Amino acid sequence: MQTLKHIGIIALNTFRESIRDKILYNIGLLAVGLALFSIVLGEWSVFDRAYVIKSTTLSVMSLSGLLISIFVGISLVQKEIQRRTVLTLLSKPISRATFIVGKYLGLLAVVAVHLALLTCIYYSILFLTNSEPTVSLLTAIYLIFWELAVVIAVALLFSSFSSTILSALFTLGVYFAGHLSNQLLEQIRFASRMGEMGDTSTALLEKLAVVIHAVFPGLYRYNVTSYVVHGLALPDMYLFWNTVYAIGYVGVFLAIASWWFSRRDFL
Amino acid sequence: MIQIEHLHKTYRSGFLMKPKLALKDVSLHVEPGQIYGFIGPNGAGKSTTIKVLTGLLNFDSGKVLVNGISPRDVKSRRFIGYSPEQPYFYDYLTGRELLQFYGKLVGLEGNLLNERITWALQLLHADKDWIDRRLRSYSKGMMQRVGIAQAILGKPKLLILDEPMSGLDPMGRRDVREAILELNRDGVTIFYSSHLLSDVESISHRVAMIVDGRIVREGTVDEITDSCGIEYHVRTRTAIAAKDLPEGVALAGHPQEVICADDAARDRLLRYCLDNGIAVEKMDHKRPSLEDILTEEIARADA
Repeated sequence: MQTLKHIGIIALNTFRESIRDKILYNIGLLAVGLALFSIVLGEWSVFDRAYVIKSTTLSVMSLSGLLISIFVGISLVQKEIQRRTVLTLLSKPISRATFIVGKYLGLLAVVAVHLALLTCIYYSILFLTNSEPTVSLLTAIYLIFWELAVVIAVALLFSSFSSTILSALFTLGVYFAGHLSNQLLEQIRFASRMGEMGDTSTALLEKLAVVIHAVFPGLYRYNVTSYVVHGLALPDMYLFWNTVYAIGYVGVFLAIASWWFSRRDFL
Repeated sequence: MIQIEHLHKTYRSGFLMKPKLALKDVSLHVEPGQIYGFIGPNGAGKSTTIKVLTGLLNFDSGKVLVNGISPRDVKSRRFIGYSPEQPYFYDYLTGRELLQFYGKLVGLEGNLLNERITWALQLLHADKDWIDRRLRSYSKGMMQRVGIAQAILGKPKLLILDEPMSGLDPMGRRDVREAILELNRDGVTIFYSSHLLSDVESISHRVAMIVDGRIVREGTVDEITDSCGIEYHVRTRTAIAAKDLPEGVALAGHPQEVICADDAARDRLLRYCLDNGIAVEKMDHKRPSLEDILTEEIARADA
């Protein structure tokens, strides 16, 4: 009970700290600007206007959320260490895992508020442009939230033991690997079936692709824009299982971050 | 309250993780109710020892207990208040907001939290207008007071202060000194490091001196200074030639003044003066200060 209370206090403080971060407002303004620009794009495009506005705005939500998760996420722990505020905080009766989880939930709350605000803007644009604002679009936003939940955990994990720049690069690496791992595996299997590569190299590459696919979180699962924009139904229990999948990865990443962080010395 | 036995700590730095021994076989015992001063030059290992006690640093070997609990256990920190050297805080908060934040982390809330904040601020003479200003506008002295205030909010059994007087003006030093004494009267054990040896001499029940990662002296101020012997400065009416000085007696710079290294040298000098009809004008005994002893120990370590 006491631990949950401490997590809440640290999360609230992290939320207060993050919403004062200038980078958040820059990304937020960029996101709003791009969402509004989607109206112009819809007019110019040869495709259906509603389709362009919906897919562009969902991409903007995902991208701006990603930028916040990475750039605010990697600095959360590093800032505490560099400014030495961590010394006073960790001298209180709180464990290092509590600190990590509190920091994580604080930033997750920031991302949730960011997505909620963009969702309001998103639906306003759809209403104003008569672009079929359907409730099913919330499904895509829900999955973007869980994708970002995983990305924040990755950023926090790397920032618990490496520098800010390296953490940003590693997190971006995991993001791209997570989005491309499925495609990579399919391409290698396809090339193998078509006999375009030698047996040895195919087997080796396939093994490598399987490992990447298994280790990195499959973030491609959280991109369902084409389904919802075209009004297609998602498989049964898709949301449930992918929520569980994200929670699982978040749990593992935070556990590793806490373990690593607890081994650290604070000078 | 604090039990440290044979503590060793190594830092590793650089690309090759070159080891540097920061603490070498450090042993200390601090009894409940004591004010314990921890002195030494920069880089001697004071902050390292303090950070081991607060669980901020891991250690290689040895035994460390705080109120009977290892600092690796979160529970040990329930009894501790800690203010780091040059405390840094979230500068977007006001002093009061910061104290509310830390107060909640030690389990305070509602009226009790507000009462405790008022008490801590009054104790440190920090109940001024500036406490409701953002921390980014604070001077070093204000930060130091807020740092100590956050450490005492939870009414800890053990207060650990790393250089609590640094950055304070004479009034601030007096306020902190009085706050330490008052907390101690209320039964709080205080373990603190300081460069200001006059303050350490005046308020500490016991003192440990650390040089180059080793404890070189430990005891009450009197025990430490007595262990170094007492010098006697003797002024005579007429000068004594250097070649005639008895063993253990040396010229002091003034032609009529000599220094006797110990009691035996003093007796030899007085006998010489009686035998040769030399009148003694005055004689002072001089006990070395902590500063003298520390300087000597640093020179010995360097050698």
